Amino acid sequence: MSAGAMHPIRAQALADRVALEARHPDIFRPSPWARARALLVVGGLAALLVYGLWVLEFSPLKMIVGLGRLGEFMVHMIPPSTGTWAKFWIYLHALAETVAIAFLGVFTAAAIALPLGFLAAKNVVPNAVIHFLSRRMLDTVRGVDELIWALIWVSVVGLGPFAGVLALVCANVGAFGKLFSEAIEAADRKAVEGVASTGGAKLHAVRFGLLPQVLPVMAAQVLYYFESNTRSATIIGIVGAGGIGLHLAEQIRVLEYQHVSALILMILVTVALIDMVSTRLRFALIGDRGAR
Amino acid sequence: MLTIDGISRRFGAKTAVSDVSLEIAGGSFVGIIGRSGAGKSTLLRMINRLQEPSSGRILFEGRDVTALSGAGLRDWRQSCAMIFQQFNLIGRLDVLTNVLMGRLNHVGQARALLKMWTDEDKAVALSALEQFDIAQLAAQRAESLSGGQQQRVAIARALVQEPRLILADEPIASLDPRNTKVVMDALQRINRHFGITVICNLHSLDLAKAYCDRLVGMAQGRVVFDGAPEALTDAAARELYGIEAGDVIDSHTPLPAPAAAYAEALLASA
Repeated sequence: MSAGAMHPIRAQALADRVALEARHPDIFRPSPWARARALLVVGGLAALLVYGLWVLEFSPLKMIVGLGRLGEFMVHMIPPSTGTWAKFWIYLHALAETVAIAFLGVFTAAAIALPLGFLAAKNVVPNAVIHFLSRRMLDTVRGVDELIWALIWVSVVGLGPFAGVLALVCANVGAFGKLFSEAIEAADRKAVEGVASTGGAKLHAVRFGLLPQVLPVMAAQVLYYFESNTRSATIIGIVGAGGIGLHLAEQIRVLEYQHVSALILMILVTVALIDMVSTRLRFALIGDRGAR
Repeated sequence: MLTIDGISRRFGAKTAVSDVSLEIAGGSFVGIIGRSGAGKSTLLRMINRLQEPSSGRILFEGRDVTALSGAGLRDWRQSCAMIFQQFNLIGRLDVLTNVLMGRLNHVGQARALLKMWTDEDKAVALSALEQFDIAQLAAQRAESLSGGQQQRVAIARALVQEPRLILADEPIASLDPRNTKVVMDALQRINRHFGITVICNLHSLDLAKAYCDRLVGMAQGRVVFDGAPEALTDAAARELYGIEAGDVIDSHTPLPAPAAAYAEALLASA
């Protein structure tokens, strides 16, 4: 076999080409429908996008004018400064409160959502009624945004971080319940079968067959939510649920842009730190998956 | 002619392949035998450059393939097709698309990404599938196929690459005796019919003796035997497989590896 000549595989296929096409007409002449359908979907989505832009009065001109004003803001924001050190310590304390709200909100929600996730997973509880009810319940909880939850809890338990924690717990339980149950449903059945085959009970199968598989996935989701909730906790602070958001809203209102930029920087640094730590933790968890 | 010139691979403190040199003539069917962990897979994967050697060179017809990168490396990989123990198909895609993966280096990038295969490519893929009697499965998802069928799809993918060389890494270790025979026969046919060189890692000594025209025995990363299957003496096999070698040679007692069961059943059914 020399390098230049036609490869025998191709030579053989080409010699047989006419007969091949006759034997497999659907592959050589696929129905034009498949491609037309893909084009229709893409075209439909594009039309919807243009229609949306038109209805919502998207205007490039307004954006360009607005960009100038954004530049003005930026100039006022430099250099970031909290004025006095006393103010800085107050902000730092509020930031710690925000992180604490996020931490409590996420981990309490994860603890509540863990049993719910198993309950809502089809491969754990095959009962259609329980499955339906738990799914719809999680949908309902998730359907209400954390900002709305914050407004509700502020009016129930009053201003402060306690309302913030409750708001995040409610919002996260809905999200975690769904994510956990989906992770459980995607788990491999083989390990469960192995545990069941030894005479283990259903609970054993869940504890040893499923949990070790899904725990790293769940942990990764919880860690991501901790980071994302630190940002959310800032927002719910604005409606009075404690933390640094209150200060941020206040400084924007009194046009202290240098304080605003300092606060934003502090939040950015905190989120980056959390992200770094959670990345480490996640890899540590994935790393010893086999050992568990 | 494939020349492996003093190649080594270390993983941390462990040496997987240690100073291996081999010359493999075009058109031969070479079996690489030895216990698990002897370095067979690492050696094969280094030829395809899925693993980089720590030192040494691999030459194909005088060209140093260990120095290749970019398009040159892709061309080399296309000409030395890999077949894996676990098939390494894309389970969620249909069989035809899986086989057409073997055409990627022949087709333009945009065309391939949009799955706009030419009729010629489809003809080559179907012709390969027909040779292994699985053309009727072309539209099915690869993951819905049995192990033996999946491995035949993988061989078809290898074939449409238009390779000069096929590297089969334990191709039958996950298959039952009947499919073992089907897959080994397919490799043999490719070798004899198209003159493509086959290098095949095998656990089973009996299979290796039945199909290969040259055996390379590896132990602890080194070549400890190299010659015709008939030349593999008891002593050489003992060095290869350790103290149980007496059992290995005697075909009435089983090998320590599950491959033995396959080989036994294969002999019984043949």
